[in-house]
Amino acid sequence: MNAAGAVWEGLTRGWGVDHPAVLALLLLAVLPLLATPFRRRGIAAASLIPDDPLSRLLGAGLRLAGIVAMVALVLGLAGLHRREQSVEREGTGAHLVLLLDRSSSMDNSFAGRAPTGDQESKSAAAKRLLAEFVARRPHDRIAVAAFSTSPMPVLPLTDHHEVVDAAIDAIDRPGLAFTDVGRGLALAFSSFADDTDEASRAVLLVSDGAALIDRRVQEALRDAAARTPLHLYWLFLRTRGAQGIYDVPASGDDSAQANPERHLHLFLQSLGLPYRAFEATSPEAVAQAISEIDRQETRPIRYAERIPRRDLARPAFLIAALAVALLLAAKLAERQLRPAGRRLAGATPLPAADLRRAA
Amino acid sequence: MTATPRDTPTADDLRPLPYRLRWRPEGIFPGAHPGRGEGAEGEFRRHVSLLRQPDPRRIDLRVSLRDPYGELHVRQFAPRRAVPVAMLVDLSGSMRFGAAVAGPVAELGALLALSAVRSGDNFALFGCDDGVNEAASLPLSRRRGLEAEVRERLMAARPRGAGAAGLFEASGRLPGRRSLVFLVSDFLMPAGEIERLLDALWRHDVVPVVLRDGALEEDLPRWGLIELGDLETGAARLVFMRPALRARWLRAARARQAALAGLFARRGLRPVTLKDALDTDALAQRLMEG
Repeated sequence: MNAAGAVWEGLTRGWGVDHPAVLALLLLAVLPLLATPFRRRGIAAASLIPDDPLSRLLGAGLRLAGIVAMVALVLGLAGLHRREQSVEREGTGAHLVLLLDRSSSMDNSFAGRAPTGDQESKSAAAKRLLAEFVARRPHDRIAVAAFSTSPMPVLPLTDHHEVVDAAIDAIDRPGLAFTDVGRGLALAFSSFADDTDEASRAVLLVSDGAALIDRRVQEALRDAAARTPLHLYWLFLRTRGAQGIYDVPASGDDSAQANPERHLHLFLQSLGLPYRAFEATSPEAVAQAISEIDRQETRPIRYAERIPRRDLARPAFLIAALAVALLLAAKLAERQLRPAGRRLAGATPLPAADLRRAA
Repeated sequence: MTATPRDTPTADDLRPLPYRLRWRPEGIFPGAHPGRGEGAEGEFRRHVSLLRQPDPRRIDLRVSLRDPYGELHVRQFAPRRAVPVAMLVDLSGSMRFGAAVAGPVAELGALLALSAVRSGDNFALFGCDDGVNEAASLPLSRRRGLEAEVRERLMAARPRGAGAAGLFEASGRLPGRRSLVFLVSDFLMPAGEIERLLDALWRHDVVPVVLRDGALEEDLPRWGLIELGDLETGAARLVFMRPALRARWLRAARARQAALAGLFARRGLRPVTLKDALDTDALAQRLMEG
C-alpha cells in the first residue's frame, strides 16, 4: 500500500487537479471502445467486405480520438494544472550579502555636502549601481543587511530579486547617526550560518566610513570568519578630503580612533579571508569597483528556478475540441447502405393461364 | 381459361405461375404433371390388346368391333401425377439484411404456394435457422389460402442464428420421393457447406434461389464511412469507401457469384437470382423451362 502510494505520489508530484472527484468521469473514456458515433449497418457476412488496412487504421484512429476527447474533457473539467515547481539548475553566481551603511553621512554627496542640482548622494549612487549589479546577476541568492547605530537584518538569503530590488531601493532613506561596522559584519556573517550550499559566498560591505570595532566583537568576527569561508569586499565610498584606507598617517597618529578606516582595513585583512577593498571617490569609481566584484564572483552555483503553476485546462479543452471535430467530420462523412429488400416487385402479373394446359 | 381466383385475400395481386418438370414424377396422386408408366386416366395414349392390359373397364367397344380379327382393345392413358413442392428458406442471421425475408422472399413463397395449389400439388414450407423453425414452417398441404399463410409466416419470421444446420434438418424431413425444392438463401456459407447441402438434397429437383442485394453491389457509395456489423457473428468494422475499394469490392462480389454459378453448374442446377425485388416474368420463364 505504501509502495503504491509512493508510486502515485511520484507520478502526480508535478501535476494536480482542482476537483479530483471529477476524475471519476474518466471511466467514461472506455465508452469509445464500446460504441462508435456511427449507426451500425448490418451486413450479411463480414467476408463480403474486402480486407482494407486503411479502413482498419481509420477505425482505430477514430476510437482513439474518442478516448482522447473524453479524457481531455474530463481533465479539463477537473482543472488539470502543473504545480508550481522549482527546478535545480547550474549557473554562475554566488550567495551574496549586501551590508549597507545607513549612517546619515551616506546621504551626502561625494563632496561631503548635501547633494544639490545634478549631484548624486552616495546612497543614491550606491542604490543605482547596486540595483544594476543585482539585475546583472539573476542567479544569485542575495541577503540584505544594514547597519548604523545597530545592525538591521533586512532580508535573509533569497532568490526573489524583486524583494532585493525593493530593499536596495530603500537604502537612500535618510539614515541614522552612527556606524557600527563590527556588529553589522557579525550579522552579515551569521546570514550564512544555515546556508549549507557549496556556492561561493561573499559579503559586500558598502560604507562611507568606519568606526572602532569593540575587542569582543573583533574576537567574535575572527571566530565567525574561521567557521564561515567567504569572500569579503569592502566598497569604501570615500568622501573627498576624508582619509583613505591606504593612507598611512604620520607616525604617532596611527591609532584606531584617529584612522578607523585604515584600521578596519587592517583588521579585515587579518581575518584570513579572501578580501579586497575598493576605494571609490566618485560614482564612476563605484561602478568600476562593482564590475570588478561582478567579475570575481562567477563560480558555478546550483540554484533553484521557480516555474509557476501552469493551468492546462485550456489546452485540454483545445485537444478535446480537435478530437471532437475529427469525430464530427467522420460522422458527417457517414454514408449508408440502402437495401432494396422491402421494395416489392412492380412487375406486371402474368395473364392467368390454364395451368393444366400450360403444363 | 380465365379462372381469376377470388377466394384469397391476396389473389388480386398474385397470379399463379405454371411450372413444368423435366422429369416424370412418381407416386399415385393424380396431378398436373405427366407421370411415369401407364395409367387408367389422364391423356389418351393408345389402344392395346386386352391381353396386354387386362383391364376390362377400359375396353373400347367401338374400336374392338371395328377390328376384323375380333380382338378386344383397351384404352391406355398417360397418367398425370402430382409432385410435392417444398420451399426451404434459410433464416440464418445473414438473411436479416435488408428485410429480404419479409419482402421478396415472402412474396416468392406466396406465389409458389399459390402456383402449387392451383396445379394440384402439395406445398410445404421450411424456415431454417439453427433447426427447422416450426413457427415459419408449414407441412405439405394443398388447402386453399395456403399462400396467405405462407406469406404471413415468412413475414413474421425473424432470421437469427448462424450456419445452415436447419437446412440440413429440413432436407431430412422432405418427402421420400423426388420433389421440386426451392432452396432460398443468400448462399454466403462456405462452398463446402453448400456442396454438402446439395448432396443432402440429391433426391430432389433443386431450384436454388440466390438472394442478392444491390446495396452491396452497384449501389455502394463511392466515398464515405460506413460501419458494418456482421449479422451472424456481430463483428463490426468501419469501412472507408473510396473508388478503389469499391472496385475491389465489386470484383470480389463478381468472383463470388462466378464461383457459386460454377458450383451449381457442376450439379446441373440452374439458379434463380432474387435481386432486390421479385421479378415474376423471369421466374415464370425459368419455371416453364422446367
